[in-house]
Amino acid sequence: MKKIHTYLVLFSLCLVSFQCKKENLEDMVFEINEVKLYPSASSKLKEKTESQWIAVVYTNLFQQALSAGDIYKAGQCITSIGDKELAREVIISNFMNSTSPLPAIPTDTDMRADIDKFINDTYERFLIRRPTEGEKQYFRNEINNNPTRSAEIIYFSFALSNEYLFY
Amino acid sequence: MKRREFIKKATLTSAGAMIAPYILPSGRLFAPTGTQIAPHVVLVMYAGGLRNQETVDQLYLSQSQHTWNPTPSLNVTGNIMPNLLSGAAPSSKVVYGVGTSGNTPISPILSTPIQSQGVLFKEVNAIAAGHYGGSIALLQGNTNLAQPLLERPKTPTIFEFLRKHGGYKATDTWFIGNSLTNSVPLYNHSAHEDYGAKYGANMFIPGVTFGNQGDQFLKDAKIYHPQNELSPMYKMKYFLDNSYESLTSNNILDTVGNTEAEKQQIKNFMKTMFQKKQAGTVIRPPQGGNDASTVGYALEVMKEFKPAVTVIKIDGPDVCHSNFTGYLRAIHAADHAIGYMWNYIQTQIPDMANETIFIATPDCGRNLNPNPILDNENNFRAFDHSDANTRRVFTLMAGKSIGNEPDKATGPLSSTSPLNTDAAITVGHILGIEQEMLNSGFLHSQSQSLIRKL
Repeated sequence: MKKIHTYLVLFSLCLVSFQCKKENLEDMVFEINEVKLYPSASSKLKEKTESQWIAVVYTNLFQQALSAGDIYKAGQCITSIGDKELAREVIISNFMNSTSPLPAIPTDTDMRADIDKFINDTYERFLIRRPTEGEKQYFRNEINNNPTRSAEIIYFSFALSNEYLFY
Repeated sequence: MKRREFIKKATLTSAGAMIAPYILPSGRLFAPTGTQIAPHVVLVMYAGGLRNQETVDQLYLSQSQHTWNPTPSLNVTGNIMPNLLSGAAPSSKVVYGVGTSGNTPISPILSTPIQSQGVLFKEVNAIAAGHYGGSIALLQGNTNLAQPLLERPKTPTIFEFLRKHGGYKATDTWFIGNSLTNSVPLYNHSAHEDYGAKYGANMFIPGVTFGNQGDQFLKDAKIYHPQNELSPMYKMKYFLDNSYESLTSNNILDTVGNTEAEKQQIKNFMKTMFQKKQAGTVIRPPQGGNDASTVGYALEVMKEFKPAVTVIKIDGPDVCHSNFTGYLRAIHAADHAIGYMWNYIQTQIPDMANETIFIATPDCGRNLNPNPILDNENNFRAFDHSDANTRRVFTLMAGKSIGNEPDKATGPLSSTSPLNTDAAITVGHILGIEQEMLNSGFLHSQSQSLIRKL
């Protein structure tokens, strides 16, 4: 009799615990598609500092962080050159030439296997937004009409773009 | 029909006439009105604050140390700048040279000092007492009392005047700095909305660009094929830029307007410099530290780009705040570096030899009275820069079309003495834009080309 009593208590506890399960918002169904939101280009009004630009471009190209000391030194390189755009170009070229670590750039075969995915991924990676239909079409044409157009050169243009200087 | 054609043609002609001035090179509206006196100018900011007593007055230790410590051995006069100035060297208590205790003066490079080739304005009025204010006064032709440190000059620099009004290319104008400190990397253009970066000069701070930092982040830059790789890269970048500009109200920052060809030349130059550095063949005066290295890289720039204007900042003598012996050595070493530079231009850069005018002037002077700091080596008193003596500087000029007047503007400093801001308008005068600079309204009211004072 005592055993039956114990089983009954345990059973009721189990029932209670299932009934008390917290309902997550994600569980609710609104019958609309889930959409990931991105900022638009028009909201990027603040200029990145030289250090911020270095930190971000390194992370975007190598998928790992640069040390604070190296960020400082790379920033000094930009400061020491009059044409800042040229300085950034040389730094990107230097990163592209790195053998350790290697820059994380898709192969040209991967890029051409799914061009739309490559374009979307590149916009998200560098500009933290989705391309407009016009932008997508421009890069589709660039890649389709130019067999030698490489992912590296496309990455280079994104890293050097004015939009990439702002957040 | 004829009337319609006439209206069409007339409209196109008017539009063309309105647009044409804007499509001239470098954004300038009209051709410069003046003629060039020489195609190249080298302006040395012999900076760091120099007292006339130790430079053009050639008083060595007599009015710096002997006045405060009347030991007979300190009552020594003499010239410690044998490449720039005429005059006998100190006969005793030699500490400004190299070797043990600095007792060996560096042998002069020039057989005839620049003073004996050109013009020395002995008493020139420095209109700012600090390094940044003093240095950018030389570039702006004016001083701005509201100018803070670590901010771009408020009014246009000589580089911007030259590029906007003279149509000079970006690679025609160079600033070579010696340090990232004291706002030095801000000298190459102003923040003025009508001028600014797009008319700015190219710049290197060689100690950083080609130093350890450059070794790590610039040296191994990949050289892309200009047509097959860089051209499409720029094309895609411009597409992205246009796309961004159409979506934002943001003011896109201007950059120094190097053309793609100029950029390629600069990148190739940088690559060569890293190779020369590795091989130990970068041009360098035989003696001296950072100032000598800065002058050496400036010569490399001159050799490659043959700029219309090259401005070089050196400031070793600023050690005078706490080390007078070091100050004397830095003055002497800078004299050696400048002598080497002038000789190199005349003998190793054929395009600039006999076609260049050289101007040297300090950013400011230094105090008449010392501060309490004694240096370790000789117990010499140190000097800051804030009193009336700080206004006393000199300007030395030589080169193409400059006659020899070795003792100009002598006597006590007065309201009619030349200003150190005259350097900017003098450069403008030499390169053919004097009137445009005067008309701009940005110059000091008394600023005048030194060539007009000869």
